[in-house]
Amino acid sequence: MLMRAKVSGTDLKTGGIALHNLQKRYGSATAVDDVSLSVSPGEFISLLGPSGSGKTTTLMMVAGFELPDSGRVLLDDRDITRLPPHRRELGVIFQNYALFPHMTVAENVAYPLRMRRVAKAEVEARVRRVLDQVHLGALASRRPHQMSGGQQQRVAIARALVFDPPVLLLDEPLGALDKKLREHLRGEIKTLHKEVGKTMIYVTHDQDEALAMSDRVAVMHEGRIRQVSAPQELYRRPADLFVASFVGEVNLIPVKLKSGVVYGGAGEKLPAAPWPDADGDATLCVRPEHLHLDPSAAGSSHGVPGHVVGRTFMGDATIFEFRSDSGLRLTSKVLNISAESMPDVGDACAASWAVSDATVLTE
Amino acid sequence: MAGTMSSIALNGRPNPARASAAPTPWAWLLLPGSIFLVVLFVVPLVGLLLLSLGMPNWTLANFIRITDNPAYVNVLRTTLEISVSVTALAFVLGYPIAYALTTGGPTLRTFLLIAVVLPYFTSVLARTFAWVVLLGRNGVVNQILLELGWVSQPVTMLYNRFGVIIGMTHIVMPLMILPMYTVMSGIDRRLLRAARSNGASPLAAFLTIFLPLSLPGLIAGVLLVFIYCLGFYITPALMGGLSDLTITMEISAQVVDQLNWNFGSALSMVLLVAVLAILWIGSRFFPIEQLLGFSDGKAASETISRRQVGTQWLMRLGAAANVLDRSLPSLGGRSIPALASFLAVLLLLPVLIVAYLSFSASSYFVFPLPGYSLRNYEAYVSDTLWVRATFTSIRIALMAAGMATALGSMLAFGLSRGRIRGRGAMVALVLSPIIMPTVVVAVATYFLLVRVGLQGTEFGLALGHAVHAIPYVVVIVVANLRDLNPTYERAARSLGAGPLASFRTIIAPLVMPALIVASFFAFLASFDDLVYVLFLGIGKITTLPMRMWEGIRQDINPTIAAVATLQMLFAGVVIIIGALLGRQRNT
Repeated sequence: MLMRAKVSGTDLKTGGIALHNLQKRYGSATAVDDVSLSVSPGEFISLLGPSGSGKTTTLMMVAGFELPDSGRVLLDDRDITRLPPHRRELGVIFQNYALFPHMTVAENVAYPLRMRRVAKAEVEARVRRVLDQVHLGALASRRPHQMSGGQQQRVAIARALVFDPPVLLLDEPLGALDKKLREHLRGEIKTLHKEVGKTMIYVTHDQDEALAMSDRVAVMHEGRIRQVSAPQELYRRPADLFVASFVGEVNLIPVKLKSGVVYGGAGEKLPAAPWPDADGDATLCVRPEHLHLDPSAAGSSHGVPGHVVGRTFMGDATIFEFRSDSGLRLTSKVLNISAESMPDVGDACAASWAVSDATVLTE
Repeated sequence: MAGTMSSIALNGRPNPARASAAPTPWAWLLLPGSIFLVVLFVVPLVGLLLLSLGMPNWTLANFIRITDNPAYVNVLRTTLEISVSVTALAFVLGYPIAYALTTGGPTLRTFLLIAVVLPYFTSVLARTFAWVVLLGRNGVVNQILLELGWVSQPVTMLYNRFGVIIGMTHIVMPLMILPMYTVMSGIDRRLLRAARSNGASPLAAFLTIFLPLSLPGLIAGVLLVFIYCLGFYITPALMGGLSDLTITMEISAQVVDQLNWNFGSALSMVLLVAVLAILWIGSRFFPIEQLLGFSDGKAASETISRRQVGTQWLMRLGAAANVLDRSLPSLGGRSIPALASFLAVLLLLPVLIVAYLSFSASSYFVFPLPGYSLRNYEAYVSDTLWVRATFTSIRIALMAAGMATALGSMLAFGLSRGRIRGRGAMVALVLSPIIMPTVVVAVATYFLLVRVGLQGTEFGLALGHAVHAIPYVVVIVVANLRDLNPTYERAARSLGAGPLASFRTIIAPLVMPALIVASFFAFLASFDDLVYVLFLGIGKITTLPMRMWEGIRQDINPTIAAVATLQMLFAGVVIIIGALLGRQRNT
């Protein structure tokens, strides 16, 4: 696991969060269903899921704004499930930042210190230091509404960092920004994480964000955690159909398993690692970039025979729509690296993939 | 007294037609309404100023007389004392209601909103009557106190300072609550969460975030109520004792009884200048036109974040509260909703008790009722004087509502769509009639109408009422036009409709509900008015409120309870129609 947190004086790291069987219902709807998760000190973990998946509710239970119906929240082995939010010492960065409009940037950042009655001189010193850290030292006397979205975001981060909480909770912090800025700030937050070495729990519905920033990603759907893995693992070995289709593009091919061998709809044998001791229906997952279309192999017994039915130029890559003779619709993605000839619409091809690039999901 | 405050919208879209360029055709619609207002509002007020300066024998003697004579200084002091007490009391009682109205659950909020809005639309006279019945020597409160054995003989609660303050406070409560509520509901609740996560206890978060952000609303409510109190006439006149003479009563006495127009004008000018000064102070904290529900784009949140009032010491207080957090008992939770509900019940109770008493079988106010009957209602419909007064009121209200709706909607279109220089001044002119003390405007109009021979005519009275009702119409229609997307018209034009056809097929149908609502409120404003009729119709016209007024002053006749109940019912119907038409538009 990637853990390059700066060693700051002491090796005794704090900021471990553990969720034990959290449950939250609103009326008859279950928002969070038996969620357990263990976050190591200094880890960057994302809660990824579509809206309504329970990710924000889970985060708000960690922050103390929602009380779970059952289950426990532990911070460094201390039970904080029922501790009110202001005594949790967790930094929270809210969607749309929640900067106080009647205070300047410096007053906003000083707020957590004022609430803790830190001496005035120290407040000033710490506010200045953290504002410099986020490159806003020159804007300390501005009001939030006089700043750009990206600057407001930095103020929110500074405010959450200034009282040195061991954990930062980030609730879709980049949701309100445009694409370019998101990508830029994504890098900044990641750099910050390396610098300050704090545990970060990051809620997002954006898979790119989650994959790019996290040590581990927890994918949530309908109140449950479906998979917790490092980004690469998550992408290459999705645990179930939801994760496979939510994270990245994927070809889902309905298959039959017979004594560990994978067969397509027409009874043809498909390339996949042998599946031990299972018979019945399953789904084969192949990422578009792993699906090769080979005109020269058309008619041979290698791969799935069919035709190219669509071709879209995307700049960095070309997307091919492929229809197999048995009626499957598959997508292939080829990077536009060389000027080598690519199949055209109407060409007969064979679709194939490496055995190691295919995942079989039985459910 | 119609629905201005309820329509305050803080973040409207920016008005596309705001640049100051050459007048567009729409701007011509401003002409009839502004001429009307200049002739019947500006000219009378200028005349009042000239009269107070002794025209044509110029002198300051009238003003010197006010400051020299201890009796008049006393009047000013009484007015100030009552206004300050009522404002303070209304603030203390109104804040929890506004707070719960913002933060409470849906059921609580609906109940509180009804408790605030229903009395707001019930005529001042009906509500004052309720208090007369409640607080009188043989009133409901004394009956209950005697019954419980808490007092051995009736307590004097009416015709003294206590009665005036209670009655006035009850009447101004909605005026206090609605601006506070408007501002509070614009506060982003996530800010409070942010404060909590940054280490603020619930109390500290309230003190350092919610309170400072709600301050513009508090200031607006306080100033609005204070201005209203200074110019209040009906309730002090009906509930006050002999020593509680306020400036409005003195104005009325000078103008009507003693026919001392110059001195009455001077007193009116003092009141007017005081109100304008307070408005000027208020405008530094909050845009006045928004206070009256006239919002055309400028987000008030900018004003909120621009003004920083007392934030520093609230920060210190909040930090101190934070330290005490662990030792303080939990204050929040259920106590605020419970307190707010209790206060809301008090707000509703007087009008409900009057409605209850109107079904009495007895010819006296006895609580609880000895038996139910409709005798008060029968007395009302069988008495030709009551019936005649009712029809007079309806005739005048129809005339006033017709004029106000026609002129007001033209003004609204002109202000929303037209491009003119001096738009701000135009807005100020249009809204002034409801900000200025009604007594002053009525006195000024009275002097004008006497000169042209219209005093004492129903048409003259309707003219006065129309001036008063135009601002309500403008506020309602402007709010509606703001929601009316100009692309609809552009779409219609691109599809081949001419300017006239697009007005007929697009704008008119979409604006019609607002016009109907506006005309209802204009009707209600005229129908409930007493102050104008006291001056413009004195001795000649008896409207329904006029007859109630006389009834309350002479013998507290139970028939009035029936009339007041019918008035409330009518107001309730108008609110419901307004709400239904508003909903229909949105779906």
